[in-house]
Amino acid sequence: MLERGKISALQMAFMMNPTILATGLLLVPAITAKTAKQDLWLSPIWASFIGFMIVFVAYRLHKLYPKETMFEYSEQILGKIPGKMVGAIFVFYYFHVTGIIVREYGEFISGTFLHQTPMVVVFSTMIIVSAMAVYGGLEVIGRCSEMIVPVLLVLYLVIFVMLLKDLDTKNFFPMLENGLGPSLKGSVVLQSWFSEFILVSFFFPYLRDHDKGMKWGMISVFSVMFYMVLTNVMALLLFGKLTASLTYPVMVAARYISIAEFLAHLESIVIALWVAGTFIKITVFYYVLVLGIAQWLKLSDFRSIVLPIGFLLVLFGVWSAPNLQVLSHFLSTSAPFYLLSIQAGIPVILLIIAWIKKKRQQMKGKLIG
Amino acid sequence: MNPDYGQANLRKIFFLFLIVFVTLLTGCWDRKEVNDLALIRGAGIDKKQNGKMELTVLLYIPKGGSSSEQGMEGPGGGGTMQTLIRSAQGNTIAEAMSILQEKLPRKIFWGHCEVFIFNEAIAKEGIAEDVDFFIRMPELRERSQLFISKERARKILSLLPPLERDLAEVVRELGEEKIGMTVTTKDFAEMLVSEAGDTAIPWIKILPPIEGQEEKRTIAYITGTAIFKRDKMVGKIDDSLTRGLLWLRDEVRYSTISVTPKGKKGFVSMKLLRANSKIVPKIRNGKWEVVLKAEADDDIMQNTTDIDVTNPKVVKALEQQLNSQLANRVNETLKEVQKDMKADVFGFADAFHREYPEVWKKEKHRWNEIFPNVKVTIASKIKIQRQGMQSGHPLISSEKGQAE
Amino acid sequence: MELLSRHLVENEAFLKSTFIDCPDVIFRSFLIGKETKALLIYTEGLANIEEIDKNVLSPLMQQETEGIPDIQAVLEQKLSVSKVKPVTDTKQTVQEISSGNPVMLIDQQLPGITIGLAKWEKRAIEEPMAESVVRGPREGFTETISVNISLLRRKIKCPNLKMKSLVVGRYSQTQIVYMYIEGIVDQHLLDEVHNRLNRIDIDGVLESGYIEEFIEDYPYSPFPQILNTERPDVAASGLLEGRVVILVDGTPIVLIAPISLYSLFQASEDYYQRFMIGTLIRWLRYILLLIALVLPSTYVAILTYHQEMLPTTLLLSIAKSREQIPFPALIEAVIMEITFEAIREAGIRLPKQVGSAVSIVGALVIGQAAVSSGLVSAPMVMVVAITGVTSFAIPRYNASTAIRMLRFPMMAAAGTLGLLGIMLGILAIIVHLNTIRSFGVPYLSPMAPMKGAEMKDVLIRAPWWSLKKRPRLTGYSNTNRQPEGQKPNPLKGTE
Repeated sequence: MLERGKISALQMAFMMNPTILATGLLLVPAITAKTAKQDLWLSPIWASFIGFMIVFVAYRLHKLYPKETMFEYSEQILGKIPGKMVGAIFVFYYFHVTGIIVREYGEFISGTFLHQTPMVVVFSTMIIVSAMAVYGGLEVIGRCSEMIVPVLLVLYLVIFVMLLKDLDTKNFFPMLENGLGPSLKGSVVLQSWFSEFILVSFFFPYLRDHDKGMKWGMISVFSVMFYMVLTNVMALLLFGKLTASLTYPVMVAARYISIAEFLAHLESIVIALWVAGTFIKITVFYYVLVLGIAQWLKLSDFRSIVLPIGFLLVLFGVWSAPNLQVLSHFLSTSAPFYLLSIQAGIPVILLIIAWIKKKRQQMKGKLIG
Repeated sequence: MNPDYGQANLRKIFFLFLIVFVTLLTGCWDRKEVNDLALIRGAGIDKKQNGKMELTVLLYIPKGGSSSEQGMEGPGGGGTMQTLIRSAQGNTIAEAMSILQEKLPRKIFWGHCEVFIFNEAIAKEGIAEDVDFFIRMPELRERSQLFISKERARKILSLLPPLERDLAEVVRELGEEKIGMTVTTKDFAEMLVSEAGDTAIPWIKILPPIEGQEEKRTIAYITGTAIFKRDKMVGKIDDSLTRGLLWLRDEVRYSTISVTPKGKKGFVSMKLLRANSKIVPKIRNGKWEVVLKAEADDDIMQNTTDIDVTNPKVVKALEQQLNSQLANRVNETLKEVQKDMKADVFGFADAFHREYPEVWKKEKHRWNEIFPNVKVTIASKIKIQRQGMQSGHPLISSEKGQAE
Repeated sequence: MELLSRHLVENEAFLKSTFIDCPDVIFRSFLIGKETKALLIYTEGLANIEEIDKNVLSPLMQQETEGIPDIQAVLEQKLSVSKVKPVTDTKQTVQEISSGNPVMLIDQQLPGITIGLAKWEKRAIEEPMAESVVRGPREGFTETISVNISLLRRKIKCPNLKMKSLVVGRYSQTQIVYMYIEGIVDQHLLDEVHNRLNRIDIDGVLESGYIEEFIEDYPYSPFPQILNTERPDVAASGLLEGRVVILVDGTPIVLIAPISLYSLFQASEDYYQRFMIGTLIRWLRYILLLIALVLPSTYVAILTYHQEMLPTTLLLSIAKSREQIPFPALIEAVIMEITFEAIREAGIRLPKQVGSAVSIVGALVIGQAAVSSGLVSAPMVMVVAITGVTSFAIPRYNASTAIRMLRFPMMAAAGTLGLLGIMLGILAIIVHLNTIRSFGVPYLSPMAPMKGAEMKDVLIRAPWWSLKKRPRLTGYSNTNRQPEGQKPNPLKGTE
């Protein structure tokens, strides 16, 4: 096997949290607020269903092919050529998506505080650090997230607590003004984030405790949902209707913290913490991409392609969008369908075909027997 | 894992790091030394005759390194001038800012700008475009406070306050005392996008200097509130009406109320400890009504009458008076702001939207007609908690009391 | 392997040619009884001459019996020395002589006898210089390996304390002993230590640092992967936790492996003080570690990138103090840090008498003159001073050196990308720490991978009665440190 390391299900859960949340926390409140208005905090709850479903699908597939990732079992399910095609779709898809993530990261850093630093520098410094972790393999990534993520999750709660005195619960109302419609519509964009949970299917084969994989995957979806709801509640109660018109509500919220005049302007610290989360996100995507390519091309070791792919990712970051407006327009319009069809559609189809195949084999077995 | 592999990898990464850091060190694109910054403490915006606006900034001069030097410079202990005023004109703030930059050897840094002062004239024309700049500009803080001034903003910024470091600090601290309204850029933007969209900003004016002092050695202070229809100023209310406004907005934090008990001479003054208020909207038979529910706890601070404030009955009566005084205040405020200026700065529209979303959707467009006719009733519960360290009668009449 | 000859003349010729131009090796020929020729070879200054005279030479030379004495008889009857050992081959003979043990060869008799009367001037057992404690044993290891072994044996008297000895260094012939407690240590670890030590082929080993660099897992890491100490109690606690202690002759510093990062931030005194104090001091150390690593870089980042982060008043006073400074903040910080390191280094290297002069000059240069001449701002002096003090609060000197070293790339990162640079630097360090292992033990365990029970000896210093398990280093042998339910309680034993 390409990856010899093993991680625990808990580590996987920790890895998945920032993998979904890191970019989500920045953009989600503003994007959902545009459609869901004051019901924006409900949207993550609806969207999380797709997360639960995907973890379930991934786990079922894993049960059928316990030692393989999607790149490998798609060939078994669909046959050699179509399987390779699905593999190719995923490889290019992850190239594109990782590029977008890198770009989101760069846009945020450039837009908020490194205005003049060339974005390539911002990209490549991050890619280098990520490459170090990817080089170390899954174990290193797992351990890093085990160290970093709990701290991040707790500190995020601290931000919320620090803002408590500025929150205004009146902003919740009127609840469900136009029924469930707006919040459901708002959840469409969020679903693309939750569909990223398909990444767990690449980690299931490397779990030390296989049987806990499903459980921790679900817990992870739940915690992501919890944090998204929390974020949206925070943005809603702090900014009310203003939420939709801010680019990065959470960032502004962090800027709004002021305790005893001294603990003020924590946005730089918040950015730094967010960078740690994004690091995990980029690393996880980067790793899956590298692992996927290695499995797809049947390489003997994935380490040799880490750096070349890193360079490509920097380029994809530059290419993925001409500016922020195009990027966020893409994210809030066509991206959900694009992401959903690949991250949710393909696995579901794979699972159905695998089931049918299995049924047929059983039938055959019975006939022969 | 193969350890040899890790070593080779580590060496590679180490060199990569070296190269990256060396190239990065030649960059430092965003580096800005403190010595090269013009720290803006406050900004003022005035209207010029030619239709342009004038941006005035208050800069901090970091002068006098060590303490020994300072002693020689500052005659009379007052210290040297620590601030500097610069102005520039332009069509927008951003434009004025770049023109201002021409006049400054250091880079303008907005990160510590805490106060924005608009002149009355420009406020009457609308300030939403300027606030847009405040929110868009990443450097600016959402907690900066907004003020409207009677005098030219430039004049106000050029004052040399005797107590604080500079004027921006004075005005900011005054704003944070929360005697009047406190409006940050975030609050203002929030009000603008609320259902009614009407706003209010504290009103400042120059305090006349103490006689014999230099004309500039004074401060500006908050005395009332400017009321805006949308982002255009339509009028102004004084201090006591502002109190009424604060009650309606649930922003009362600090106040002292004096009442004259019935049939007595003198006053009983009370300090507000806690105050909460809530507006409860009601639509009855197509009539739009609002109930202001207010609760407050007071302490007696001073008693210049001869009543016995330890007597629960007397206290009850006092509470009654407080309630009616509050109602009077609020009604006066409503008369001016609701009836005359027709500006919904109380958040009535949002309250109705929250309570009656269905009705609101239909009647929203008529709000301007409905608003002036919304009937407001006041249900307040003010309690007097303690009589202070001095119990019983005032000192003068205490002998009498004992003799009886 | 060449064996000793039965003929003394041949042996003598061989040894003489081996030790040619070694005037410190003395060949003393004598007769046992009347005619049996014997030869005693020893190194001057390394052998206890008085004892040799009294217990070896005089009984043998005064021997009355005729004929060739049997070597067994000599050993049993004449040599009143407790430690004697037979030698048969030439190589070993040479080695024994070099290491100070006199060798006696008797004509027509085999084997030769080494007499354990090596003795040389030793330093007395003193209080360790680098690791002093307020509460705890005062003794420290010395340069003599036998003394060091005895110090450890005094702490752990169980026969399960085993040791294996080997000689490393073609020329130095340094004795290396690794010790472990049988039944606690994991066999794989032991094999690994054995293999790595046996792989070493070097001309000389003058200090345990040589060994350390040969056997560590990731040579390109700034972090030490093997603990070194000169305190026997630290070594003994390592043994009790299933670690292997490596002693090298000639140095008071012993090596302990495997370790995790956290071992570097634990002082022996943590375990002797009350556990609450121990816990608080540990937390303090973690905070100080972070400060030592990022304070100067954070200062640079805030001052050149994030001026809005500081409270206004603070920024204004810093701006005032920096107004006249000609350097950018980054250069200022680097200059000051280098100056500080120079003073620190000079303070260690210089003779004690001059050392104080250096610190006076340093204090004046850094503190007073630099500020008043307007070259360096006062806040920067404070930052550097705080960083310096905090880096000394890390109990292990080599760990604090690693942190101090990493401070410079961190400053460079802060100078180019601000807080983002610092964060990326920290992330890179975390990734690196997660990559390295010490003898197969993940360097950050028990935090990553998380091991719940062991964390209470890392996050806090749990009371002794609750530390029921040993750290599971590589294996699982004998993890119970003590039985359950020993929490003290005044009611215990009364019922």
